[in-house]
Order: sequence, then structure tokens, then C-alpha cells
Amino acid sequence: MTNSLNDMRHAKSLIFIGSNAAEAHPVSMQHILHAKEVNNAPIIVVDPRYTKLAAKADEFVRIRPGTDCIFIMGLINEVIQKGYQDKEFIRTRVAGYPAMAEVAAKYTPEEVENVTGIPAAQTIKVAKILAMNRPTSLTWCMGGTQHSIGSSITRAFCILQLVLGNMGKSGGGTNIFRGHDNVQGATDMCVLSHTLPGYYGLSDGSWKHWCRVWDVDYDYIKGRFKEKKWMNAKGFTLSRWYEGVLQEEKIEQYTPIKAMIQWGCGSNSNSQYNRVVKAYNKLDLFVIVDPFPTMAAATCTTDNVYILPCSSQYETSGSVTSTSRQIQWRYKIVEPVNGCRDDYTIMKDLVDRLGFADQFYKNIKEVPEDITREINRGTLTIGYNGQTPERIKKHMDNWHTFDIETLQARGGPCDGDYFGMPWPCWTEEHPGTPILYDISKPVAEGGLPFRNRFGLEHKYIQSGRTEDLLAAKGVYNPGSEVKGGYPEFKDVVPGTNWKTDLSQKTIKEAIKRGMAPFGNARARCVVWNFPDQIPIHREPLHSPRPDLIQKYPTYEDKPNHYRVFTRFKSEQNPDLAAKFPFVLTTGRMVEHMGAGAETRSNKYLSELKSEMYAEINPVAGNNLGLRDGEMIWIESPEGGKVKVKAFFTERVDEKTIFMPFHFGGVLMGESLAGNYPAGHAPYIVGEPANVCTNYGYDIVTQIQATKDGLCKVSRA
Amino acid sequence: MAQRKIRISPDQGTKTESITLNPKVARRSFLKLSAATAALTGVAMTTRMTAKAATPAAVKEAYPDSTMIRSICTHCAVGCGINAEVQNGVWVRQEVAQDHPVSRGGYCCKGASAIDMVTSEKRLKTPMKRVNGKWQKITWDQAMDEIATKLNSIRDKDGPDALHLNGSAKVSTEMAYLQRKFAAFWGSNNVDHQARI
Repeated sequence: MTNSLNDMRHAKSLIFIGSNAAEAHPVSMQHILHAKEVNNAPIIVVDPRYTKLAAKADEFVRIRPGTDCIFIMGLINEVIQKGYQDKEFIRTRVAGYPAMAEVAAKYTPEEVENVTGIPAAQTIKVAKILAMNRPTSLTWCMGGTQHSIGSSITRAFCILQLVLGNMGKSGGGTNIFRGHDNVQGATDMCVLSHTLPGYYGLSDGSWKHWCRVWDVDYDYIKGRFKEKKWMNAKGFTLSRWYEGVLQEEKIEQYTPIKAMIQWGCGSNSNSQYNRVVKAYNKLDLFVIVDPFPTMAAATCTTDNVYILPCSSQYETSGSVTSTSRQIQWRYKIVEPVNGCRDDYTIMKDLVDRLGFADQFYKNIKEVPEDITREINRGTLTIGYNGQTPERIKKHMDNWHTFDIETLQARGGPCDGDYFGMPWPCWTEEHPGTPILYDISKPVAEGGLPFRNRFGLEHKYIQSGRTEDLLAAKGVYNPGSEVKGGYPEFKDVVPGTNWKTDLSQKTIKEAIKRGMAPFGNARARCVVWNFPDQIPIHREPLHSPRPDLIQKYPTYEDKPNHYRVFTRFKSEQNPDLAAKFPFVLTTGRMVEHMGAGAETRSNKYLSELKSEMYAEINPVAGNNLGLRDGEMIWIESPEGGKVKVKAFFTERVDEKTIFMPFHFGGVLMGESLAGNYPAGHAPYIVGEPANVCTNYGYDIVTQIQATKDGLCKVSRA
Repeated sequence: MAQRKIRISPDQGTKTESITLNPKVARRSFLKLSAATAALTGVAMTTRMTAKAATPAAVKEAYPDSTMIRSICTHCAVGCGINAEVQNGVWVRQEVAQDHPVSRGGYCCKGASAIDMVTSEKRLKTPMKRVNGKWQKITWDQAMDEIATKLNSIRDKDGPDALHLNGSAKVSTEMAYLQRKFAAFWGSNNVDHQARI
């Protein structure tokens, strides 16, 4: 999130697309509804389903799954055609605008209607609501990202906010609601196969930086890899690691994957879950670390599986970063439940036995505080350096002193700090940055320009135009020595820049001069390092509209996509929709979380919602001769199928099936409850929706496309 | 409403009665929850569970020698505050955090039942290993020895990239950092977590 949940109280309008906050983030609703009721802010909800959030909307926009990009580009076009765009913001802080506007011009309201099913008049109306009620807060979740063009969709969202001038403003921003409690923190630490902590990437310079932080020789780490080239090569992802085991697709690695450790990860959130199960049973070693046995424990039936019972996060301590980038400290409530061990103890034991503890724990004596300090020392890119364990705990102890509207402490020990010191928090005196890219405040007081990351200028190939990438003259934070754009800081300590200077002199120097260490530049509408430099629509891999495939084809196949061959064009078959006539989309319910191992083992929640179901429109159900409440089969083109209860509801339209994804413990009609350790099967089991979610992955991130697949329905 | 039932239990604290509790409020009726919570979650008030109703006095008073510890809900990323009441090392009661600047006393049904993350009888309490198709309890030492030996032998034979680590968005930031660091020291980029999807 660029802003915070509390800051949404200041929005003058709110648009949610692919987010069902009322169920997925219920407590955020108090701030959202505050904006609606106090500011009279209209709420627009764009979703294939009439969700519980949609019930609070002033304008519900029903969209065909997977067509978000064309709708947003159509909105941008309408904004531009009507002259609603923020011309001054674009002139001074945006790059690549003309080329983007040219692409958007193709997406007229009529073309948007043809592709998305949204009436042209509604697109026009929504554009007007946004233009007349600024600033707008824009929120998306997995409904926006889990598509083969997810990376284009999310960029379109950002561009819309740039065009409307809603970035860096209280009440505006791109406010992505993160899913799990620590998605933000774990992402910042980059438990990701394509980058080291702090989004440093995998280049030699990044490895050298982190080796300095770890206080180990670069050559030692290099020696741990098979060959140097594997240090710089992106690894398998969570979405497709199992291809490395199965080897049914061509993999780009010297060995298949033979061992798997799943540490705090519910396996049934993977699409094509039946294929994941196949991989489990082919592993030489499978280790599950979790407070509850996950569904993996019931589906892997070989002898090569271990479960290590770790404690919950209430039985250990450490920091957690909320969706608003607030870092909070979880104090240990009780000691680990008898027989369990906390994560840190298990890791220490493992590393000890693997024989590299001396190097691994060089700077870490006090756990977890010394780990926080090591993070502070190394994660300079996003300004994770001012949030010391002492400061985080101080905020926790004094959470009652923070103002609800501004999130700034009013008096008391944290006076002037923003709650949780949202990054960047550049120094131990810095209050945190509550709103990203806000140039109304000095950098030392939480202000920030756009980052200079992609050079000083760029020549666009198509137009031949060269553009200055730094912010225009006159755009700067109060107190800045340079009264306009400026590049990132480097060579304050010779040979280093603001990201690699561990003495942090560079950062301090920048703040002293009233400037951001990462420069002051323009936000890009054209991303020249992406396959689609400007977001364009492409039909989902499995499209229910074969007539649109030729006009909006998907990408060429990608041979080495995170080490595995990934089909795009060869997967897009126009004949598929005839056999699989429904679009399958998935989502959350308030009573459960993620893959459900925790919530389905919770007696209260299990009783609240105990049965798996699929939402089907009564018209579609009646046409198939089904009855509400009877069992049906839902089947994917890949042969995955689930037996679930039909729930007739007009939340979905006649072409769409919706399933929640929290269930597990049943596989293709067969209960696996007996496969869990005796007495430890969850209270409730059900078919995992992800057995049916289709093949399909984003071209950049490899996120799985679970929201726009196809399926067929029959009586069980 | 179940909560109101607790408050209006007869004789102002001298007598207790057995009542049906909403599961999100039930925890042997030790939970005190604000009306705002019930409104927010808006769930059906039906359950098969019954428990002894606490007297109004018991609801108001702290457990003898208990301490109140601040924590954060482990479900979604809103980051709601939790006040945990601990007596003799046991988490006995959970309260909303009225003064938390983000959640301001709000809970959904998941947050309201956070205590069952610790108390659930479904929690595993010993390492397990499948032997001849049957789960077997083993000691931590045996589990860690066997896992480490197997990992090292796979590493020697097939190379470090033969291991994939799926880490987590459900652990602390410090632990997440250790998961990424572990992969680096193990010698592979085959590490990922839920944020990918």
C-alpha cells in the first residue's frame, strides 16, 4: 500500500477491483465506511461477483474475469477524452504519458463493453465519478493479479492513479491489501526465488552487498552453489516448483528437485493441486513444518515425509509488517505448547546439523532482536534501517498514543513518529513514511518523491522521442537543496551508493540536505523491461470468448520461465470453451484463511462455516437440471475435478462458477481424513478448489492464474 | 445475542447458568468482546457448544496475578491488536484492543478466536514420520538428525538445487529473513513463499 488503511478515511472516492475487503479484511471496513459516511465518498466495486463488499457499493461493476486491464485502460482513455486528467501532475512527475495515451485510445467504451461485458455508459459514469471525487483510493487484491496478464493489470491500476493525479496524496494512492498477516514483511525479506532481501536482485553486486552484511566471504557463498551461474539464475517458484520434481515439462536445471521443505505453507493454495500431490509422492524427502498438519501430510503417502510441529506466532516473538507497511512487534504470549518448538529454534537446530552455523549466525546472538538489527543493517533499498527492535517495541507499548486520522503519535515516548514506522524509515530519528511519494512534507518528516531507478533519460524506440526521467523543475519536498528532479545519491563514500553504503553516511547526507537518497524522478507509464511495455489486453489462456482470441492473443510460449517451460500461445485453444462453458473464479470467505489448515482446526471457525460449496447462478443451475444443495462435479480442462455442494445464488452471473479456496482434506471425491496423524485431521474437510483452477501463469511474475480459468459442471 | 445473555445472567453474579454460546465468543465464556465486534462479523449465533456462563463480575475482573500482553492477530494483514491475558504461563482470556490505532476494538471471527491457535487440540505436539505407511511419533533429535543427514546426502549427490524451500508469510519478518538467508547459505535460489501467488 502506498497509503494506509487509516488514510483511506480521507478518500473522496474509493474503487475496489478484485478485492472483497468485507470478507478478506473485515476490520479495514471501519475506515472505508468512514470515508463513505463522513466524506460522502462513493464506493465503486468492480468484480465478477456481487460480493459482500459490493453490497456496500454505490456502483457495482460486474466484469468478466481476466478483463480488468482493458476496463482500466478504457477508463484512462475516457478520463483523457473528457479532459479529466491531472495535466500538471503528468507534466511534472510522469514519464511516457503520450505513448500510453495512444495505446489507451484504442480502448473505447464500446470496445470495453464488447470485451468485459460492462455497459459503455457505466465505464463513462465511473470515469466521471472518479474525476469529480478526488482523491480516489484504489484497492486491488488477488483478483487483480492472478492472471496471465496480472503484471499488466496492476500497472494499469497505477497508471490510472497517475493520470488522475492521485499519487502521493492523503486519501489517494494504490492500496493493495496484502493477504496473510506478514505478506508484506516476508516479501520485503524476499523469500522469493528472484531476489535477495530488500529487493536487491541476484546480481553479483547484490550478493557482495549481502555478504558484507552477513560478514562472510563472497567466495564462501559462491562455493556453496553448484556453479556461479546458479547464483544469478532465478529459482523455481512456489507456483511451479513441482514441475522440477515431475519433469513432465522441460526444466532448465542440472538436477530435478528431490527434497522439499514446506515451512508455514498450506499446499492446497497451489493451482492444479492434483499435480502437486503427484510431485509430493515422488520426492525423496519431504519436510512439513507447521503447527497443524497441512493437507500435504494427508496427500503425501510415501515414507519420505516428516512433520515438525512448530509453535504458532503467539508462542514466539518478532516483528510483523501489516498491509499499511506498519511494523509491529508480537510479544511472546506463552511458551511453545508442550512438545512444539518455535521457528528460530528449529532453524538453529537444522543449520547446526547441516554444519554452517558459525557463518550463518555470525552477527546473531540475541534472537530475534539481533536478526532485526541485521535486517536494519542490510535492507537499505526500502529504508528498513530506522526500525530498530527497541523502537518497534516502543510503538507497540504505546499504540494508544497514535492519532487515528494521521497515525502520528501525539506526545508520549513516540511523539511525532508514524505508527509502526512505515518504510522507508531512513534513520533512527526518522518518523517513517506514512504516504509514499508525498512531496508536501520534508523527507526527514516522512515525505518522499518518486524514485530514480531507470536512468536519467530514455529514448522511446517507436516515437524516437527522448525524455528526461527526472522530475520537472519546481517539484521537490520542502527543504530540498535541489529545487527539482535529481538522481540517486552515490559516491558520498567512494565506490558505494545509498543502497550499498553500510555506514549509511550516504543516506544521512541526503536527509540532511532535505533530499531522498534514491533521487527525485518520474513514475513510468512505459516499462521498457516488460514484454508489454504499455498494458494491453490479452485474452485469458483459457478464454470463454474464442472470437476474441485472434484480436487479443496471449504471449508466445516462454521456454525458461523460472527454470521451467511455460506455455502461453500453445495453450490458448479456441475450441476449449465449447466443452468447458463456465468461467471458474475463486476467493475468500471471512471464516477461513489461506489453505485453511489453521482455521479448519479451530473449533469456533469450523462450526461457523463447515462445508465446501460452489456458487452457481440459479438460471445456469436450472438449465443443467441441478437442484440447489445437491452435490455436483466441477471439472477443469486438465482433468482435475471436485465434488462439492451446489449453492444457487445470484452473486455470480450465468457464466461464472465461484468456489472458496480454503478447504482441503478431500481429493477428487475421496476423503483423506484418515491419512492425517490420528486425532489431528482438521475438524472439517472439503475439496480444495485448486484442484480445478487451470493451467496459466503471469508472463513476468509467474503468479498462477486462478481467477479466469474454465470448467464444466455436472450432477454428482 | 450470546453476549447479552452473558451480561444479563441472573442474580448479578451469584448464580451461573449453562447457556449456548456463539463459538466466536465462547472460550469457556472467558472472552469479553465489544458489541462492535459482533456487528462487524455479523455471524449466525448458532452452535452446539455450551459452556458455563461467566458472571458479570468475573467478566470485569482480571484473573488473579495475571498479566496482559499485547500481540497482533496472525490471520490477515490488517494487523489487529490483541490483548492476551496470561496467568501462570497459560493464555486464559483474549480481549479486543480498543486503543489500537488501526483495529480500534474491531475483530472479525478469525481474530476473535485467535486463542484457539494455541489451545486447539488439533495442534501437533511431537515430530512425526511416516513408516511403512503409518504415522509414527519420533523425538526431535531423531527427526532433525535424519532430516539433516538426508539433506546433506542429497546435496552431495545431486547438488544444492535439488532442494526447494517454500517459506512463509505466516512467520515473523525475522524468520522470513532467515528462510531467505538459509537458501543463500545452502547454495540455491530455489526458495519462494505465498506472496508469489
